[in-house]
Order: sequence, then C-alpha cells, then structure tokens
Amino acid sequence: MKHFLRMLFQVCLYFYCKFLWRCLKFVMRKLTGRCELQRICYNTKPGASRTMKIETSLRDSKSKLLQTSVSVHPDAIEKTIEDIMELKKINPDINPQLGISLQACLLQIVGYRNLIADVEKLRREPYDSDNPQHEEMLLKLWKFLKPNTPLESRISKQWCEIGFQGDDPKTDFRGMGLLGLYNLQYFAERDAAAAQQVLSDSLHPKCRDITKEEISKFSKAEWEKKRMDKAIGYSFAIVGINITDLAYNLLVSGALKTHFYNIAPEAPTLSHFQQTFCYLMHEFHKFWIEEDPMDIMEFNRVREKFRKRIIRQLQNPDMALCPHFAASEGLINM
Amino acid sequence: MGLLSILRKLKSAPDQEVRILLLGLDNAGKTTLPKQLASEDISHITPTQGFNIKSVQSQGFKLNVWDIGRQRKIRPYWRNYFENTGILIYVMDSADRKRFEETGQELAELLEEEKLSCVPVLIFADKQDLLTAGPASEIAEGLNLRTIRDRVWQIQSCSALTGEGVQDGTNWVCKNVNAKKK
Repeated sequence: MKHFLRMLFQVCLYFYCKFLWRCLKFVMRKLTGRCELQRICYNTKPGASRTMKIETSLRDSKSKLLQTSVSVHPDAIEKTIEDIMELKKINPDINPQLGISLQACLLQIVGYRNLIADVEKLRREPYDSDNPQHEEMLLKLWKFLKPNTPLESRISKQWCEIGFQGDDPKTDFRGMGLLGLYNLQYFAERDAAAAQQVLSDSLHPKCRDITKEEISKFSKAEWEKKRMDKAIGYSFAIVGINITDLAYNLLVSGALKTHFYNIAPEAPTLSHFQQTFCYLMHEFHKFWIEEDPMDIMEFNRVREKFRKRIIRQLQNPDMALCPHFAASEGLINM
Repeated sequence: MGLLSILRKLKSAPDQEVRILLLGLDNAGKTTLPKQLASEDISHITPTQGFNIKSVQSQGFKLNVWDIGRQRKIRPYWRNYFENTGILIYVMDSADRKRFEETGQELAELLEEEKLSCVPVLIFADKQDLLTAGPASEIAEGLNLRTIRDRVWQIQSCSALTGEGVQDGTNWVCKNVNAKKK
C-alpha cells in the first residue's frame, strides 16, 4: 500500500512538473517572443551542449512534427527545418542563422542515430573465413602490425604474436563480429606508429623499478617468481576487441553524444567512431601502465575503472575524446 | 524497487556457497555458459582477458562461477585459482574435432593437479546446436573418461547458445556438492 501511494505521488509529481514546465515555456515565449528552439540556439554555444538541449526539446515536444524530426532521413532534413520554422512562425529573413544552426544540430542528431545502426550492422556480421574480403582485411591487419615479418600461413601460431588466442583468429571476433576487425585494422593502418608501439609494449613488459623496500616485502622465492613473470603485458588483439565492446557500449548508451556533437560538424560517421576507438586504445594503454597491475588477471578491474573514468569525462558537455581531431570551431557560429 | 527487495529477501539467504572453476580451451563457451545460466544477454561476448566471476543461485546454493581466460599468457595463473574449488567444470567445443586431442591433453593435465584431486568434474560437451558436433558418448570415448577413477565425473552434452542441457548440468553440480557435504 505504501509502495502504491509512493508511486501515485511520483506520477502526480511528474504531471505537475510537466505542467509547470509547459507554463514556463509559454510565459517565456510570450516574454521573449521566441520559441524554445530559438532560445536554445541564441543562449547556448554550438557543440554538444546546444545539440543535446535541442534534441531533448524536440523529443519532448508535443508536436508530432518536432518529435519525428529526430529520426528523419538525412536528405529530408532541409525540408523538415523549413516545416519547423513555419510551424513555429519564425521568419527566416529576420533569423537567417537559426535555420542553419538548427540544421547543423539535426544533422548531428540524425547522424548519431544512423551511426548506431551502421555500427550495429557491422557488429552483427560474423567473421566469415570463406569471404575473401574478410580474409584480405585480416591479412592486412597482420601486414600493418608486423610490416617486417611475413605471415607463414593463414593458420599459424604467429597470430598469437599480435595477441589472438589461437592459430586462427576467426573465433576471437565473436560478439563484436566484423566491427572488431574494422577497428583493429583502422588503428593499425591510420595510426600505424602508435599501434605498433602499443603492440610492442603489450608484448614486452616494462622494467619495473624496484626499491629496496619492495624487495624486502617479498620472500626470495616469491621475488624470483615475479621476476620471471613475463605476463605484465596483455594480448593486443583481444584487448582491441574488448575495447571495441567498450566503444560500442558507449555509443549505444548515448554517452558518446557529447564527444561526437563536439567534434563532428555535421553527421558523425564510421571513421569518427574508429578514431574514437584509436583514442580509447591509446588511453587504455596509458591507463594500464599508470595502474601498474600485478598481472593480466586484473584486466577486468582496470577496464571497469577505465570505463568509469571515460563516462565521467563524457559528462562534461565540453568534452571531446580526441583533442587532435577537434573540429568544433568549424561549426557555424551564431 | 521496494517490492523487489522484499521479494528477494523472502527468497531466503542461500545456505551454502560453492566455488566452481570453469576451464577449457579458448572459444569453448566458458563465458557464455554462466551468462546463459543467469539468463543474461549472450550476444556481446568478447574473449576473456583475465577472468570473470558470476554468482548464480540454484537450489539453495550460491554458485560462484570463476571463468578463466585461456590465452598462453594466462596459463601460469590458472593454478592460483585451484584452491577451495568445489566443482570443476571443463567446457569443450564438440564441433571442433581438430582440437579434440589438445582438449583431451589439457583435461588430463588438470586432473593430475594435486590441488584439484578428488574434486568432482563435469564435462560440458558444448555447441551441440552445431550440426557437426560429436555426441557426448563419442567424446567420452575419445577423452578416455572411463579411466577416471579417483573422482565423480559426468559428461553432459549442452548448447550454451540455446541453453539446452545447461540446467541438467547445474542439477548434477548441486547434487554432487550435496553428496560431498553429507
């Protein structure tokens, strides 16, 4: 009963707040002579903060046109903007910038949704060793990562050198499907120096600087064992597939909106996603070394901590995950 | 939320915790099995780095399933997880005939481990949903399971993907933990 009353109260509170919000919007509209979309565009700087506010405003609108505008086809955006301007009785001659700003926002919003669909499609496509395109990509991955070592045969223990589990990588893609291969290949090709550095670090454990204090903490046998341990590194390819999973989840949950709305002047594309993956690989590698885990068994703990850190960073509306790709200045300013 | 937590309390605290070790070659289904048991989404699984722990309630037991990755780098760490193991579950891919020998060898090595002596072992002949999967009887023959004399063992054909046979395996686990305690 208590539970029921509490729920009833919450429902009432929700409608009350919604009603208050509508009233406030109405009063503001009358006072400023501008609709909510205009107010957001005039008061918020372009980028994630503006686009996210516009998205919420459109989604929660009571007009069907505005509600559906977040999922229109990219080609229909221009027409949709015209319709919205007409509906809101905004004169495009007096507010020439508004249409352009709204269009930029809508392109980002629609683009993000389409990007999720594209990424999901790749993820669902399993690696198929009978598909020559897939095979070619896999072999390319080897070539980019190990330019000086030829692969002896398609099925070879050599795959373990770049961090696959067995002699045939095809089973390692699993839940991430082709997306994992796309990401790894992009990283190895476009960011070759960095990828090879990360790979070599993951193979050669860093030399730990050990103080006397630390030595005294371990018994001699334990110390010997530790010194022999060569497992401070991790499996490059497997971690790449794991980080793909992280990037995928960030995208689907909407956490990456801040990043994409800040860096992509128009619709974010697959290569934006892959750049984000490269950045995450980089950052994870740095984080792994900073965390200084005892061994690979700590992987899931470190990964979880890393994920929380990224999510915290993404809560800042000015955040962009790859500063060197920043293109937000290119956005049309009002 | 309030209602749910009351319900959860009503379900009574589990009386016994059992530590289950899940081992096997890579791509056998070690991560998928406990996820299937806990009715979680199994479409996003990636190769395990390190290990995963999953707690599943079943028949008054709290089963803590330790699923340990199987890359070369991790092998030396397996040993650290052998202590206090209630049940060993060995998972194998019944359709990957090329690796039957490897998986048999690995199992034989595990069974010789001192810390795992007398620990009941359940062999999951996984991936029975595939047409090429070998039947459990054939696998038992191939792995020479009949020569295991120092412990209780069972082979259970299953499919981690569809969930078929997984519950039967769990029932066996619960029964044998019981028998040991009595």
